[in-house]
Amino acid sequence: MGMASNKVGIVSCSGEEIPEGTISRIATRLVLEKLRPEETVTICLPLFLAGGEDERAFARVFPTITVDGCEKRCAEIGTKKYSGKPTATIVITDILKKYPQLKLKSRDDPSAEELVLAEKVAEEIAKKVDEALEQKRHPTGREE
Amino acid sequence: MGSGKVVVVACAGMDKALGAVARESVFKVVEVLRPGKTELVCLPPLLAGVSSYSELVKTLPVVAVDGCAERCATKLVVKTGGKIRGRIMVPDSAKKHGLVPKSASDIGSDGAKLAEIIAEEVASIIDKLAEG
Repeated sequence: MGMASNKVGIVSCSGEEIPEGTISRIATRLVLEKLRPEETVTICLPLFLAGGEDERAFARVFPTITVDGCEKRCAEIGTKKYSGKPTATIVITDILKKYPQLKLKSRDDPSAEELVLAEKVAEEIAKKVDEALEQKRHPTGREE
Repeated sequence: MGSGKVVVVACAGMDKALGAVARESVFKVVEVLRPGKTELVCLPPLLAGVSSYSELVKTLPVVAVDGCAERCATKLVVKTGGKIRGRIMVPDSAKKHGLVPKSASDIGSDGAKLAEIIAEEVASIIDKLAEG
C-alpha cells in the first residue's frame, strides 16, 4: 500500500462469519476497481490490527472510511484505536434496514439480489469518498 | 460452541488474491468438509475485544491459513493467547502446486482449485488433532 495524496483509505470488515461481511468485501472491491480506482486504496484490516505500520501511518494522515458487516464494528473500532476517528463509517446491517425484504443467505456464494445490495453499498462508499476528498480540499466547513 | 472442535482462522485477503483463496478454503472446510468439527472465527473481533471469540481461540486448538508473509492470522491468534496447532501458508501451497489465482475479486479456476487443495489439507490437520 503506497502513500499518495488525494487518496482515501477504505478499511473493510473481512467478514468470514456472516453474509454481511461478504457484502462489505464485495462492495469495497467494487469501489477500488470500478467506481473510484484512482481515489482509493484498501487497508487490509487484519494487517492493520496485527501491527502493519504502513497501514496505521496511512490511516493517521489520510481520510478513512470504515465498512463494517455487523454491529461489532471491528473496522471502526480498530481504526479509532490505532489511527484515529474514521472520516466516515458504514455498517451493512444498518443499510439492510432499508431493505427489510432482503434476507442475506450466503457468505461465499452471494445471490443476484445480494450482489445488487453490494452495488448499492459500493455507491454509498463512493459517495463518502467524494465527500471526504471534498472536505480535504475545502476544510473550512469541516465538522470537528 | 463445543469442546472437541477446532477453530479455523484465515487471512481476510482484502487486497491479495492469495488471501481470497485463504478465505475461500476455510468456507469449504467449515461448510462442506468438517462442518460439525470446526468453528470459523473472524480475525478482527479478536483485536476488537469481543470476548466470546478470544475465549474460543484460547480454549480450542487453532488452525491458521495465512495468505501472505505477513502471517496476520497466525500473529493475531498468538497475540490473543491462542495456540496454533496447524498452519498453512497459501503462497507456499500455490508454489508447490503451480497454481496462480487470478485476483482478489475473482480467484479464477486456479484459485478455486488451490482453495480445494488447501481445504483438504486443513481437514486433514483437523482429523489428526481429533485423533490426539
